[in-house]
Amino acid sequence: MAREQTLTHDEGAATAAPSKPPASSGLVLRGLTKRFGEDVLAVDDVDLHIEHGEYVVLLGPSGCGKTTTLRMIGGHEDPTSGEILLDGESLLGLPPDKRPTTTVFQHFALFPHRTVRENVEFGPKMHGVAKDARREKAQEALDMVGLREMADRKPSALSGGQQQRVALARVLVMEPKALLLDEPLGDLDRLLRLRMRVELRALQRQLGLMFIHVTHDQEESLSVGDRIVVMHEGRIEQVADPYTISTKPENVQVASFMGDNNVFHGTITSLEGSRLLLETEHVAISAPAPQDGLEVGASTAVSVRAAAVHVDADAAAPGGRNQLSCSIDVVEYLGDLVKLHVSAGGKRLLAKVAGERYLEFRGREGSTVRLSWKEEDVQPLRP
Amino acid sequence: MSSPSDREGARNVGGLRTEDIEQAEQMLAERAQETAALGERAAPGVRGRRALVTAAWTAPGAVWLLFFLLAPVLMIVLVSFWTRTVSGFESVWTLENYEFLFQSNVYWNQLWDSFWHSLVIVAAALVLGFPVAYFLAISVTSLRMQIALFIVALAPFWTSYLIRAVAWIPMMGRQGALNTALEDLGLISEPLDILLFSDFAVTVAMLQLYILFMVAPLFFMLAQIDRSSLEAARDLGANSFKTFREVILPQAMPGVVIGSIFVFILTMGEFATVRIIGGGQVASVGTIVQTQVASVQFPQAAASAVFLVVAMFLGVLVLLRFSNLREEL
Repeated sequence: MAREQTLTHDEGAATAAPSKPPASSGLVLRGLTKRFGEDVLAVDDVDLHIEHGEYVVLLGPSGCGKTTTLRMIGGHEDPTSGEILLDGESLLGLPPDKRPTTTVFQHFALFPHRTVRENVEFGPKMHGVAKDARREKAQEALDMVGLREMADRKPSALSGGQQQRVALARVLVMEPKALLLDEPLGDLDRLLRLRMRVELRALQRQLGLMFIHVTHDQEESLSVGDRIVVMHEGRIEQVADPYTISTKPENVQVASFMGDNNVFHGTITSLEGSRLLLETEHVAISAPAPQDGLEVGASTAVSVRAAAVHVDADAAAPGGRNQLSCSIDVVEYLGDLVKLHVSAGGKRLLAKVAGERYLEFRGREGSTVRLSWKEEDVQPLRP
Repeated sequence: MSSPSDREGARNVGGLRTEDIEQAEQMLAERAQETAALGERAAPGVRGRRALVTAAWTAPGAVWLLFFLLAPVLMIVLVSFWTRTVSGFESVWTLENYEFLFQSNVYWNQLWDSFWHSLVIVAAALVLGFPVAYFLAISVTSLRMQIALFIVALAPFWTSYLIRAVAWIPMMGRQGALNTALEDLGLISEPLDILLFSDFAVTVAMLQLYILFMVAPLFFMLAQIDRSSLEAARDLGANSFKTFREVILPQAMPGVVIGSIFVFILTMGEFATVRIIGGGQVASVGTIVQTQVASVQFPQAAASAVFLVVAMFLGVLVLLRFSNLREEL
C-alpha cells in the first residue's frame, strides 16, 4: 500500500511539472485526511497541487472521498489532519466565507424566496457591498451567463439549465480565486448536461480561473478537465491529463472505473528486455515492460482499451500472443461506434469498432470472431 | 476576472448564452405542452365525466362544511337579530342585542382583554416554539430521529385536552405539586397563588395546550428548506444570524403565519381552559357567551359571538399580511 501511495504521488508531481511553478503558488493539499468517527476513513492522506487557471476534476465512484475533499477545501468540513494552502497561506480554521473559494452546490442550492437578481446579489450584500455597487456586479455576472432578462424571476420559474447558470453567476460575482463545483451537472437532463459541460469549459478558459470539479461521470471528466484526479476509497489512484487517464490507466482500480478497458490478470512467464510475457487463463499476452522491477512468476494485471481491440469477423484459428477467439454476446450500436460484448471461456470482453461495421455484425450474436491487439496497446497495471 | 475586456470576452466566448441550450429547453417545454394539450383535447364526454368525478370527490367535504360550519354561523347571525323571550327567542327582528352590547363596557373590555391575551400567547408560542421546530427540522439530521422526536413532541395530544387542563389543578394549586416542591426546597414560605385561578395561570396553561399548533406548521416549513442552501449562504458570507434572517426566516414565514392563526383563533375563543384554570376568577369572551347561553339569553349570546367571530376574522386578516401564502406555500 505504502509503495503505491508514493508512486501515485510521484506521478501527480510529475504531471504538474511542465513549467515548474513556485511551490507557494496555487492550491496545495498536503496529507489531507478526514475521518468520520472511528471507522470511516473518508479521505486518506491526499497530496495534490493545483495551479491557478487549471481545470481539475476529482473523479471517482460515490463514497470515494471526492466530495469530502472538495468540502474541506471550501471550508464546509474540517480535516482530521493535513494542510490546505492557497498561495502559500493556510486555509485551515477559516470559515467558508473567509476563504477565497466559493462553491457551486450539487442541487444548485438557490434561495427559493429570492429573485434571480437577489440570489446573485446575496454574496456581495453579506459582505457589505453598497446597494448600487452590488446591483451592478450582479448585472455583470448575469450578463456573463446570459440571464439578464430573467433577473426578476424566482428560481422556481426557471428551467434546470437556467438555475444552474444562476448558481454560477451567484459564485462568479464573488470573484473567487478558486471555484469549487460539486457534481454541478448532476441535476440536468442528458442533452443539457452535454452542452453545459462545454460551456463550463469555455467559461473557465475565458476567466482563467482555477476550477475544481467533482463528478462520478468519466466522460464528463475527460471532457472538461486539464487534469483528472481519480479517487478510490479515500485515496488518489492516479493524477494525469485526460489522454493519459484514458489510454494509460496505472492500476486496476483506474482501469476498471474508467470503463471500456479489458483487464486481464495473469502470471509473468518471461521478461525479455523491454518486453513482458504474461500467461492468463484465456490468452497469452505480451506487453511493454514497466520500468520498476517485476519478477518472473509474479502475478500481475494488464489492460487493453476496448477501442484498441481489432475484431475480425472470420475466426481463422488464432494461435499467437495477443489474440483469441470469442463468441459475440451482444452487438450494441451507438451511432458512431459499435460495442461488441463478447466472451471467451467465461471471460467477458469488450471491443469498440467503427459505426460503419455495424452491418457486418448485426444479428451475429452467438457467432465466433477473432480479437487481437497490438503489443504497444497493452498497458501493464499495478494490482 | 474583473477587467472590462475580460468580461466583454466572456460574453462572446465563454458566455453561456448559447442559443443551443435555449433551443433544447424550448423543445422540451414544447413537448411537455403538447402532452398536456393532448389531455385538454380529450372528447367532451370525457371532460364532462372528469368534472363529475371532481364534484363527487369534493361533495362530502362541501356537505360537511355546509352543515357544520356555514349553517350554524348563519343561524347565529340570524338569532343575534331576533328577540329574546323567557324560554328562548322568537323570530322578531330587533337591534336590541347589539345596542346592549355597544353600551356594555364589560363586553368590550373583555373582548380587548381576550384579544390581548391571545396576542401574548401567540408571541410566546412563536418565541418558544421556533427553537423546538428549528431543532427538529434542521439540527436533527437523521430522518428517523426527526420523526421519532416529532411524535414525542406530539405526546400531549395522546390525552384529552380537558384532562390536560384539569391536570393543572393538582400540579399548580396551593397544595399542588409545584408549590409543595418549592416550599420543601425553601424557595418560598407561602404557597404562590398566581399559579392557579389567575390570569397568569390561564395564559401559561393555554400556551402549554396550544404551542404544538405553532410548532407543527413551523416544523413542516423548516423541514422543506434545502440544507445545502444554508451552506451556500455560509459560503457566500452570511454568519449564523444573517443566514437565519435572510434565508431561514423568510422561508419559514408561511409556517409562522399559519401557526399564529391557529393559536390566535383557538385561544381567542377559549372558554373551557379559562373556566377550569381560571376557576371563575378569570373571564374571556368565550365565558361571557357561555354564561349568556346558560341563562337562556340566546340572542344576546349570538350577538356576542358574532363580534367575537368578526374580531377573529380581523386578526386573521392582519396575520395574513405577513406572508403571501398563495405564492410561498
